[in-house]
Amino acid sequence: MSIANESLGLELIGLNKILGGRIIIENLDLSVKKGEMVSLLGPSGCGKTTTLRMIAGFLRPDAGRVILTGNDVTTLGPDKRPSAMVFQNYALWPHMSVFKNVAYPLKIRKMSKNEIIKRVHEALGMVNLMHHKDSRPSQISGGEQQRVALARALVQEPDILLLDEPLSNLDAKLRIKVREDIRDLQRRLGITTVIVTHDQDEALSISDRIAVMSDGKIEQFANPQALYDEPSTEFVANFIGSLNRYTGDFYEGRIQNGDKVVGIRPEDVYFTANNVPDGQPATVDLVVPRGHFYEVYLSSNGYKIRSFMSSEIPQVGENGFVKISKALVYIGGKLAKVA
Amino acid sequence: MTKTQTKLNLQSNSWLVRILLLGFLAFMALFILGPLIWLAIRAFVTGWTFPNLFPDGFTLRWWKVIAGDESLINAIKNSLIISPIVVIVSAVICLPAAYAFSRYEFWGRKTFIIGIFAANAFPKIGLYASIATLFYTLNLMGTILGVIIIQVLGTIIYMTWIPAAAFSSVSRNLEDAARDAGASKIRVFWDITLRLAMPGILVALVMSFLAAFDEAQGTYLVGVPTLYTMPTKMYALVLNYPVQISAVFSLLLAIPSVILITMARKQIIGGQLADGFQIK
Amino acid sequence: MTLFKEVTAVESLAVKKTARLSLLGFFMAMPPVLVIISFIGAPILLALAFSLGFITGPNRIVALIGQEIYPKTSWWGTLDAFKSVINDSRFPGDLKTTLTVTIVSTTLVIIMALGMAIYQRIIGGRIASILVALSLVPLFVPVVISAFALRTFYDGTGFLKTVFYHIGLNFPTLTMTSNAVVIGVIWTSLPFAILMISSGMQSVPDALIESAQDAGAGFLRIVATIMIPLAFVPIVIATTFTAIGIMGSFTIPYFLGANQPTMLGVEISNFFGPYNRPQHSVVMAFIIFSAAAGIAILYIWANIRSAHQSGRI
Repeated sequence: MSIANESLGLELIGLNKILGGRIIIENLDLSVKKGEMVSLLGPSGCGKTTTLRMIAGFLRPDAGRVILTGNDVTTLGPDKRPSAMVFQNYALWPHMSVFKNVAYPLKIRKMSKNEIIKRVHEALGMVNLMHHKDSRPSQISGGEQQRVALARALVQEPDILLLDEPLSNLDAKLRIKVREDIRDLQRRLGITTVIVTHDQDEALSISDRIAVMSDGKIEQFANPQALYDEPSTEFVANFIGSLNRYTGDFYEGRIQNGDKVVGIRPEDVYFTANNVPDGQPATVDLVVPRGHFYEVYLSSNGYKIRSFMSSEIPQVGENGFVKISKALVYIGGKLAKVA
Repeated sequence: MTKTQTKLNLQSNSWLVRILLLGFLAFMALFILGPLIWLAIRAFVTGWTFPNLFPDGFTLRWWKVIAGDESLINAIKNSLIISPIVVIVSAVICLPAAYAFSRYEFWGRKTFIIGIFAANAFPKIGLYASIATLFYTLNLMGTILGVIIIQVLGTIIYMTWIPAAAFSSVSRNLEDAARDAGASKIRVFWDITLRLAMPGILVALVMSFLAAFDEAQGTYLVGVPTLYTMPTKMYALVLNYPVQISAVFSLLLAIPSVILITMARKQIIGGQLADGFQIK
Repeated sequence: MTLFKEVTAVESLAVKKTARLSLLGFFMAMPPVLVIISFIGAPILLALAFSLGFITGPNRIVALIGQEIYPKTSWWGTLDAFKSVINDSRFPGDLKTTLTVTIVSTTLVIIMALGMAIYQRIIGGRIASILVALSLVPLFVPVVISAFALRTFYDGTGFLKTVFYHIGLNFPTLTMTSNAVVIGVIWTSLPFAILMISSGMQSVPDALIESAQDAGAGFLRIVATIMIPLAFVPIVIATTFTAIGIMGSFTIPYFLGANQPTMLGVEISNFFGPYNRPQHSVVMAFIIFSAAAGIAILYIWANIRSAHQSGRI
């Protein structure tokens, strides 16, 4: 239970949603600080888009409340909420020029013509598209269309900015550049922002905090480092980053028999030719070059372990020692111990 | 006061809107179905004296009258023979063209497409008067061939545009994949393209059949008094026979329509018809 | 502000499609084109000649059979036939009736179709589906039957007249008036209009409507600024086809309309047959042609404009 708090940009309280007979969202709570950039991250079907649409107002929750900057907007339609959304396929109106697309929300707010021109130019300037202001959406590229959609959202000076899979339609190189630009823009303007994505790279690189979702629930809501170092559930450990996974237990520096779930990040596994404290005997099965690091597949004590190494790469078949510096142990899906 | 959450989350003031809508629905039901039901009942009544709310009596005797009237039976026969012929002729002429419009670029393509549309866009009755002039000269007036030609004219737009849209909707990727798997061009057309375009082609066949079967104005001008089809016979019926006979004949005339469109309704409402009418 | 600047260099626009001209395609497309040229194009030219007074050659027979033929008086023909038609006492009334019925009916049909299509798109639900299905029923019914059914329904012993009689009021007999013709052409024109406009409305992507909502637009504004513009081509198609069809219609006015004045479609048939004035008939046909051509140009313009807009041309 929490009281409507002005310093929170967004509060979701006890959201529930059933669609087509299935429970999509179940008792979801979320608090986003003002000016924070938060990602909803998860596999398809986890409910992240449904949640975003409930924030925007396109879906009405079956139970629960949506509070934007201290105001309960649960019963308001999307046109009345102080939120602005950038749609996955940009949703630019093809029969209007770029300028008119961005000006549309301002026309609705009945601003004067001069004021509209000023604000639209400002928004287009922010995304560096002034040179296309009279073009039609069909005449500009996908990335440019996205920027128009962004400008159209920002021109509304919303309390909260919602982005639905903003990078999924861009090619890989572009993605990295554009996400940095979005991050910079967001920081500068200080707008509370929620991004929906299935790409953990994206989420990890630009979010203040990430809500990892699965089956309509938030598994963990924390900053990227915490998610990575201490994933509170098995799901999060599997979803974020790579994981060696075993049924058993972990103590005395090695994998043991047991009925718990043990997760070991490849970055926490080292192979050395000479023995080290807590080292276990190990053999190198396979070495796969991955560009700026190597995947080294090891066998030790009957377990196969994957390691990421970037120096002193061993040869295939070499015998040596493996050191596991950290392991995550889960009981019933929840983090029990970090060894 | 309840607010309905609509498909796109637009609020609606429930009670007033709902009442207006139900009123409109009732009006439309009466407007559209009223005349049809009013007529259909008459096919089974002995008589219906105004201003009674109910008919005088029920009977099937009018059906027997039709069965016994040779000229009416002839008209029915003519319709059932000529219409399929028209559809076949039209298909043979137009389907290759439809494929060409869809898949090839050639000189005059856009002009032909617009030309076919323009020819159909002109008011039919004015057209038929001009054609009669030509037919007199070619001695086609009053002949089966003349009637067939006139009916084919009305089917061309359905037989070219709708299948063209259907062919266009078959993604090239699917054809390329078949070629890659080893199929020859003809094989690809038969197994893939034609198969996938079939719903649209069926719609075109149905619409063409109906256009031919129901064609009245042109057939009237060219065929009467030598050759009658069911629709042109209706004109004579209406003037000379009791309304019950016309009612029976109407039901008979409507049967093929209802059967065909019911069979093809998914495609028609599914947009095949509408897709065909945009110049692409 | 260097945000997004370098991005432009990386992006590229779509490559224009190049196509080889196909000879095979040309020949495959020929048959229907030839049929149309022979049986629609040629007759139109012949009829044009006939209307201008060229009564030799192919026009000879019909000129011999018909009465009150005006032969050409100069190398380009004569306008005597046209003058005769325009001065005919029946023509102004017919023209006015035709135009009035066309404009009124087309307007009503489009308004009804738009209303139902928008309702179905935005709100959906059972009532919307039933309304659209009802509007499609006339598609099932041959025009001759429709005309006859409508006449029986609205004539002196018709449905409303019967019902009103029992209430004690006199409902007017609508048949033999232009009002019945309007009702009749609306009845027969609804299916195509609804199919076109409904398909156009359904094609408007949800996202485009939602993004307008998100920007703050209410229902009416969305309809006016987003939905109607985006469904523009189907709406124009529906309007032009409906108008052209009504303008030249024959069966409905024949069954439901007055004898005088009547729609030009009926008059053309009257002059060609019973009155045996084929040249006048053909002149009237061209007057309708011209009006239809104007409307058809609108349709072509709409298609070209939309193709430009969406980048196809």
